[in-house]
Amino acid sequence: MKRLFKIFGLILIFAGSSCEDVVDIPLEESEPRLVVEASILSYKDSESKIQQIKLSETAPFYDEQIPPVESASVKIISEEGLEYDFVHTSEGYYINENLNPIIGQTYELEIIYNDEVYTAAETMMGVTDIDFIEQTATGGFAGDEIEIKVFYTDPADESNYYLFIFRNEKITLEIYEDEFTDGNQIFGYYSNEDIEPGDEVAIEMYGISKSYYEFLFILRAQIGENSGGPFETQPATVKGNVINRSNKENYPFGYFHLSEVDTSTYIVE
Amino acid sequence: MKQNFYFLILTFCFSIQAYTQERFTLSGNITDASSNETLIGVNILIPSLNTGVVTNEYGFYSLKVPEGTYEIVISYLGYQTITETLNISGQTNLNFQLNESSEFLDEVVISQRSDGLNIKKPEMSVNRLSINTIQKMPVIFGEVDVIKSLLLLPGVSNAGEGSSGFNVRGGAVDQNLILLDEATIYNSSHLFGFFSVFNPDAIKDLKLYKGGIPAKFGGRVSSVLDIYQRDGNSREFKMQGGIGAISSRLLAEGPIVKDKGSFLIGGRSSYAHLFLKLTDNDNSAYFYDLNTKLSYNIDDKNKLLFSGYFGRDVFSLSRNFKNTYGNAVLNLRWNHIFSDNIFSNLSVIYSDYYYGLTLGFVGFNWDSGIKNLNLKYDFDHYLNDTFQLKYGFQNTYYDFNPGEIEPIDETSGINYFKLTKKYALESALYFSAEHNISENLSAEYGLRYSSFFRLGKDELSIYENDSPLIYNEDRDIYEEAEPLGTETYESGKTISSFGNFEPRLSVAYSFNENQSVKASYNRMAQYLHLISNTSSPTPLDVWTPSGPFIEPQLLDQYAFGYFRNFKNGTYSLEAETFYKKVKNRIDYVNGANLIANNNIERVILNGKSRAYGLEILFRKNEGKFTGWLAYTLSKAEQKTPGRTPVETGINGGDWYNSNYDKTHDLTLTASYEASKKWQFNANFSFQTGLPSTFPTAQYSYENITVPVYSQRNSNRLPSYHRLDLSANLNPKNSSDKDFKSSWSFGIYNVYNRKNAYSISFRENSDTGVNEAIRLSLFGIIPSVTYNFSF
Repeated sequence: MKRLFKIFGLILIFAGSSCEDVVDIPLEESEPRLVVEASILSYKDSESKIQQIKLSETAPFYDEQIPPVESASVKIISEEGLEYDFVHTSEGYYINENLNPIIGQTYELEIIYNDEVYTAAETMMGVTDIDFIEQTATGGFAGDEIEIKVFYTDPADESNYYLFIFRNEKITLEIYEDEFTDGNQIFGYYSNEDIEPGDEVAIEMYGISKSYYEFLFILRAQIGENSGGPFETQPATVKGNVINRSNKENYPFGYFHLSEVDTSTYIVE
Repeated sequence: MKQNFYFLILTFCFSIQAYTQERFTLSGNITDASSNETLIGVNILIPSLNTGVVTNEYGFYSLKVPEGTYEIVISYLGYQTITETLNISGQTNLNFQLNESSEFLDEVVISQRSDGLNIKKPEMSVNRLSINTIQKMPVIFGEVDVIKSLLLLPGVSNAGEGSSGFNVRGGAVDQNLILLDEATIYNSSHLFGFFSVFNPDAIKDLKLYKGGIPAKFGGRVSSVLDIYQRDGNSREFKMQGGIGAISSRLLAEGPIVKDKGSFLIGGRSSYAHLFLKLTDNDNSAYFYDLNTKLSYNIDDKNKLLFSGYFGRDVFSLSRNFKNTYGNAVLNLRWNHIFSDNIFSNLSVIYSDYYYGLTLGFVGFNWDSGIKNLNLKYDFDHYLNDTFQLKYGFQNTYYDFNPGEIEPIDETSGINYFKLTKKYALESALYFSAEHNISENLSAEYGLRYSSFFRLGKDELSIYENDSPLIYNEDRDIYEEAEPLGTETYESGKTISSFGNFEPRLSVAYSFNENQSVKASYNRMAQYLHLISNTSSPTPLDVWTPSGPFIEPQLLDQYAFGYFRNFKNGTYSLEAETFYKKVKNRIDYVNGANLIANNNIERVILNGKSRAYGLEILFRKNEGKFTGWLAYTLSKAEQKTPGRTPVETGINGGDWYNSNYDKTHDLTLTASYEASKKWQFNANFSFQTGLPSTFPTAQYSYENITVPVYSQRNSNRLPSYHRLDLSANLNPKNSSDKDFKSSWSFGIYNVYNRKNAYSISFRENSDTGVNEAIRLSLFGIIPSVTYNFSF
């Protein structure tokens, strides 16, 4: 439904002699916070057990570099109490090569950084298969953009949440729930006015939890062209599921989730 | 206690009536001489008795005078004053017809009655704009716009150019009661807020109550915008119209039975494809409205009026997107005069707001709306020259359709789903007295009792501890509770009920003919809520009734003012301060998805709002050069604390600026009558930038830059200012006496200021650098409109 609001913007642009320009707005700066990107994945078409967690800090808005966090200790603990240590390689990336998460099991993430303990717990979510991919040239609101529909069949009588990541030159996140599509064959939708025949679009379909869906719902509202303007929702602080157990005030950003992923690569025709 | 108050007032009225036997009633209607259209707010004055009255919404007046011979003065802005000597020796029914001043005083300096303030009347915080004034103002794209004109008054603002609706004294858009011929209009905007739904040609009069709201009105807590449509010319057939940059208008009116009955039908439509002609596909975006009125005088004491309004916005972009929305209103009224001093009006009103959407590429149709049927009976009772009573009742039945999703065809992956419909009944009983207590002191006091019943058929979710929203203390977020089950209510069964006494009081004390102070208090209840968490409402937002999880909004407003006329009303000054607070203003948790949400209670929290300020309006009412300076200094805030001490609520439970809070708001409006042919106008506005939320940091997630936002609305957009100019040309039409035409030339935003509509913070996808992007909507826009009448 978020897409719907773009139409308001569209009409505003056509209606007025409107214009966009870059302005110099001085900003206040807040204290740096830890940012956790812990996506533990199991690919349908791969046996790989290599998992990676990225840690960084927040930076002033206009900075071009995001400072990586390289001195943390990171581990994941399974329901049975198995510990998977993640070792720092470079640029804030921490790697473990033995973790193959099991659907339905709950895992706990523990990070120690600057003498503060951060934890998060999440259940590994499965996902259905991509059925097929379809391309038409009648997409977008104007009906003249290339659109790509990634069809899948939603399992009936249960709540499912999906994340689609489309990687072209830009990264596009789309999220879906099945409230109005339960049990049906439905599609993840990608439309981009810049793509042309021959372009390659990498498609990933993740099964995600309701709570991660809600996190992404808020996150998506803050980024890119979705923010600002009278027909947009108020900007918000996007709080994830990683909790600072030592100092609640110094809460981190980011999320710890475990997902099964189906992938595909599509060449635009 | 409150019942005692009511009783006291009633006794008071009757005791006053006791010593009025010697007097006779003088009553009648006042109309325009050329069209026989009734005139609202005409002054009828008997100077020797120092008494007077104004005509009501239906042009009716009634006065009690002792036997004798009097000079009576009838005056109205833009019309020639009538002075007549009358001998009153019994009940007298007298109708007056006023001539427009300009038509007769061709070469003479216009000496129309001034629009000086009514110093003695207890009415305050009220603005009247005549449709003539509105039609002269410079406007965007040359489209005369009722609501945009209101924005030039103190205490009225909006959430930015092109946002929908208007905000009064720090109130929200959904807190304005907008009445068109007494029927509620739920969405006052075309094209998401660029234009208002009111066709200026069809409007006779409008009045905006910002405070001291009479007991007659209720149901919204911020303001009342009371608009009356014209009845139509009952003397001769007339047509008028206009061709503008955005829309064209045509209106026809004339007698059904000469001097007894008239009709009016007016239409307005924007041009399709106007906004979307970039590509050669079948896109279109347009709006239209249709106004109708039939009026018939059965006899001196009975009159029937039928009004209708139908308006739609249509956006159609290929097969993928189609959006239709708008209001429809039907109203049948019966005016009846009992015994010369009791005027009554019975109305049966149907009003409907519809929103429809088709998203072809997702494969569904969406429908939502609100319908209501309203029965009301109002009485104006002219007891004597110092006491006038108004009383009546209203009953409104609501039918809410929060939404229905339908698959577009068999291949669609969408399942049919209908959100639970909701029903409610709102009833109110009121009385209100206008009382001239002494030479210098007058008061308007009243009481309204409103009640609201949420009715079945309905199905409501049940939650553990009655709490639909769970606070996750670890993560400091609110999460939706899973319902334990549902409870079904049979059709007509009361689910929850509310009742509120709403006292209203305004007092005026005049020091002399030219100076007074006034004070007012009003309490009001609002039972309907527009569910919207965007900065400005969208047409898609749905109205929802109070009920088990949503309490009615309650307002208390206090205002105090100083009023002065200078030079016999040539200049006037109004200075007012106000303070208002609203209880039970709902706010939305982060990430609340309000569209197609069957359990709104799971994403809302109960908060409050407050606003206070100072308003100054200085006007020059007479002469070739007229205009006003309006200045508002104000603050509007909102606060939504947590329900328990551990909860943080919204924005940490702290007060935050409302989306439409503007510290300073200054407007200068000027009009110069250069000659009979040319007339020039200018507007200048300066406003503090709207509140906004800027990031204090950034981070990267999934290789996407995410801004970190801090306290809500703690930053501001740059200051807003703009100058508009217009010129109206009325060329002489020698060939045909009846055909009149005029041209209106306008320039909006003369010095082409790039006012920020929004500032968004995002990564430049080409360079990867983060930027602040200013979106400005309207640069300099010239326009031409051609108007005609015959």
